[in-house]
Amino acid sequence: MGRFWRLAGVILLALVGLLALAQEEVDPFEEAQKQKQQLLELSGGILPTDLIAAQGEELFKAKRGPKNASLEACDFGRGPGRLEGVVGRLPRYFFDTRKVEDLDSRIRSCMINLQGLRPDQIRRNEVVAIAFYIASLSNGQPMTVRPLMPQEKRLYELGEKLFYLRAGPRDMGCASCHVTYVGRRAGVLPYSDILGDKRVASHWPAFRYSNDQAWTMADRIRACYSNLSMPAPDFYSEPIIALTLFMNAKAYGGKMDLPGFIR
Amino acid sequence: MRRFYLPALLLLLLGLAQGQTGTTYITPELQRLIQAGGQNYASVLLRQDPAQALCSTHRNRLPAEVLGPFIEEQRKNIKYPADGKLMGDWKQGEAIFNTLARGNCFSCHVGSPLNIGGNVGPSLEKYGQRGTSEAVQRYTYEVIYNTWAYFPCTVMYRFGVGGLLKPEEIAHVVAYLLDPNSDFNTKPALKR
Ligand code: HEC
Repeated sequence: MGRFWRLAGVILLALVGLLALAQEEVDPFEEAQKQKQQLLELSGGILPTDLIAAQGEELFKAKRGPKNASLEACDFGRGPGRLEGVVGRLPRYFFDTRKVEDLDSRIRSCMINLQGLRPDQIRRNEVVAIAFYIASLSNGQPMTVRPLMPQEKRLYELGEKLFYLRAGPRDMGCASCHVTYVGRRAGVLPYSDILGDKRVASHWPAFRYSNDQAWTMADRIRACYSNLSMPAPDFYSEPIIALTLFMNAKAYGGKMDLPGFIR
Repeated sequence: MRRFYLPALLLLLLGLAQGQTGTTYITPELQRLIQAGGQNYASVLLRQDPAQALCSTHRNRLPAEVLGPFIEEQRKNIKYPADGKLMGDWKQGEAIFNTLARGNCFSCHVGSPLNIGGNVGPSLEKYGQRGTSEAVQRYTYEVIYNTWAYFPCTVMYRFGVGGLLKPEEIAHVVAYLLDPNSDFNTKPALKR
């Protein structure tokens, strides 16, 4: 644990230095890549995402909960315990829960079913850390989400409808920024081209270096709603899974860049 | 027993009214999905108005046959300040224009001398050069009150329709943009 905190300190210092160096403009992917490179040099080869993934690995392998079990038997779609490349295959339908689940909700299901935890005992930061660990084992793998099961097809279609739905006092809808105004800026970041650029969906979960946050796709979706003063859908809820399924399927064939490292 | 008829009747009428306008986007299945997102989320999304439903259905590009009636409908719901003045106090308009939780105009438009503007919308730099004629005032007021009366389904919020700004507050913003003495027109715009 001592080593962990020493590393955390080094990285924090490096991050502070990084922000001072941060410049405006250029392509956000290139910029993030540059920042990542600088951070790697400053910290001697360790990224914040490595620390989060290490924490996640610890949590994943520890025997916890009333059933005193680890999550190692959790099936993310390639069979129990097989983690390589699974992030690019989610969301998908699972026969045991009879639900389409994304990375977050699958982790949660396993914490409930394997470890015997109650839903209210599941801590969000633990799910995120575990998601980072699993993501680290999917880096470089392809995105292969393709809705084939009837349950997946149904949810994909609903996700698509939800993506175009406009509502609320600000007439909010995902598509009005991420389709119509791609590349334009309302603030620092340009609106990403969710349906046209496969890199966008392929880098979640991601670390946001500008504010030191570890986010999964669920956090990203929830923040999009909140930024336009809309109530966000609950964590692990179907609207989040439906939107993620839609976006990930659109990114079919993309190369996973995990855990993502973004502004 | 009779007590149950009234709500049932109301629901029926509501259903008929919706069927008549033909502008529902939210199918029962989509409604169930949204409800699974939690009460707060559902309470806002399920209150979709018919214009929002049309924009959703047509993915923000209305076909010609829908466009005319849509704009007419949007024009009808514009309300004006009680005193009829479309230009208020530019100082108060400045605060609204430059505050994220109120107008948030600067996030999308260049022109403010106080905040670096975004480029989602067109630049409004030196907007006051358009003069202060009745037509310019009216256009500016109406665009802010109900953007969709001029730019159907665009991303800019319908500030009056959505209840984000009161008619008097919109008049203050109009003054901020048009008053020749406003800082918006006398000071240089901040750009990135
Ligand atoms: C989310 C982004 C966004 C916000 C916030 C926003 N606008 Fe806009 N605005 C636009 C876009 C986009 C257009 C152009 C509409 C189109 O072409 O579809 C526009 C158009 C306009 C126009 C007409 C421009 C012209 O040249 O005639 C005015 C005036 C205007 N906005 C003022 C405002 C004011 C005042 C506010 C704040 C109260 C505001 N806008 C907030 C995006 C925005």
